[in-house]
Amino acid sequence: MQASRARLFKEYKEVQREKAVDPDIQLVCDDSNIYKWTALIKGPSETPYEGGVFQLAFSIPEQYPLLPPQVRFLTKIFHPNVHFKTGEICLDILKNAWSPAWTLQSVCRAIIALMAHPEPDSPLNCDSGNLLRSGDVRGYRSMARMYTRLAAMPKKG
Amino acid sequence: MGYDSMANVGSVPSMVSGKKRRGNRSAKLKQCKLDARREQWLSQVNGGKDDCKVTRLATSLHLLHPLRAPTGKIDSKTKAGEDERDDMPLHERNGLDSPTHNPVMGNHHKRNNSPSNSVSSRSSSVNSTSRSFTDGEREEHPEGGGEGNGVLDDWEAVADALSEDVGRDDRHHCHHPDPVVTYIVPAASSGILGEAPLGGSTMKLKPVRSTKRAWRPDDTSRPQSLPSISKKCIFPWNAERDHLVSRQSSILSLPSRCPICYEDLDLTDSSFLPCSCGFRLCLFCHKKILEADGRCPGCRKHYDYMSSGGVEYGRNTTSIIPVVPFV
Repeated sequence: MQASRARLFKEYKEVQREKAVDPDIQLVCDDSNIYKWTALIKGPSETPYEGGVFQLAFSIPEQYPLLPPQVRFLTKIFHPNVHFKTGEICLDILKNAWSPAWTLQSVCRAIIALMAHPEPDSPLNCDSGNLLRSGDVRGYRSMARMYTRLAAMPKKG
Repeated sequence: MGYDSMANVGSVPSMVSGKKRRGNRSAKLKQCKLDARREQWLSQVNGGKDDCKVTRLATSLHLLHPLRAPTGKIDSKTKAGEDERDDMPLHERNGLDSPTHNPVMGNHHKRNNSPSNSVSSRSSSVNSTSRSFTDGEREEHPEGGGEGNGVLDDWEAVADALSEDVGRDDRHHCHHPDPVVTYIVPAASSGILGEAPLGGSTMKLKPVRSTKRAWRPDDTSRPQSLPSISKKCIFPWNAERDHLVSRQSSILSLPSRCPICYEDLDLTDSSFLPCSCGFRLCLFCHKKILEADGRCPGCRKHYDYMSSGGVEYGRNTTSIIPVVPFV
């Protein structure tokens, strides 16, 4: 427990120090609870998520980093591996492939990579997965783009 | 103090090759040692300065001299000089060697040469060398006066004190074989006082003189203590540097912090290689992981498969040796 806290503090410092290093990720720790973090990630370019900013919620177990953080999208996203309602993410490194060597920052990077490379064969969002599996890439892209505009981009005034 | 000159005389022939190589650096170093030495003396003598000093010197002279044969000095000296001159990697390598080789060599020389060499050198010192020795003396004291040389001094002082003790121990064994020394000391000292410092410098060639300077610090204890001193200062330092270097060289595979808990890896941790994939972590985290799912964070293979084969500990020991050679 104490170890997880210490590690999270270190990660926090690291994040503060490397803020400029990865402009696509902004990790913020909850003011009162170091086990709660939120992240803002930019949708990768040349994907339907480009231009959108997606908010992630991290809930970190006390056994961290031996156990992976629980991460979900707070921003609605149309993606085969993200539950449309809950924002749950189906990503191996957040489950059985977790390694204590990962950090919150690297988890964010992994999620960005997942956005760019959806895995329709293990879908949490069946509609999205089915579109891709049936080869309707255009349909998937337009749906994803629409939700990105709706949910992840600043409203046009 | 006569031993200084004796050492020089004895060393002159064989020193020729060595002295050239010795640079300003070693001279400076020796200067520091000299100062440290002087401090040590002062602290030991404390009370009646001049008188005590003379007696002290005399005793130390005949105690120490037999032990430190000129040849032994030269060897160790040149060795030390080389050490100083070499660049880092070599230096470290030497560092590895010197602890084992130097002392041994020094001992050999001591035992083999001390009876004959010391006698001859002493006789010569009475005649000609006394001046050079005087030089050393003269310069030494004014210089040594109030100078604080920083860290080096401390090292040197400690080292000198240690070597002095050694010398004292040795004296018990070697004292009897040459009583001559006792006589020489007063003679040398008187000669010193009588002769002008200039005499020594004029008589000797430039290089020789520079050699003298380099050696001066030391006196009798120098030769023997020099290697030991360089050992003392180089060692811890060297070990540390070794450590650093090993860190640098293996920086790719060896992070300075545990990637799991982000704490700094200590020496044990950094020589701990629990997985064949090369992923390093601290022992605490390793234990915790073993208690949890037991998979290497780097390759996600189970630790059990590797560590049970003894790979873990075999690796561990082999990696420890280069990292901590002298511990």
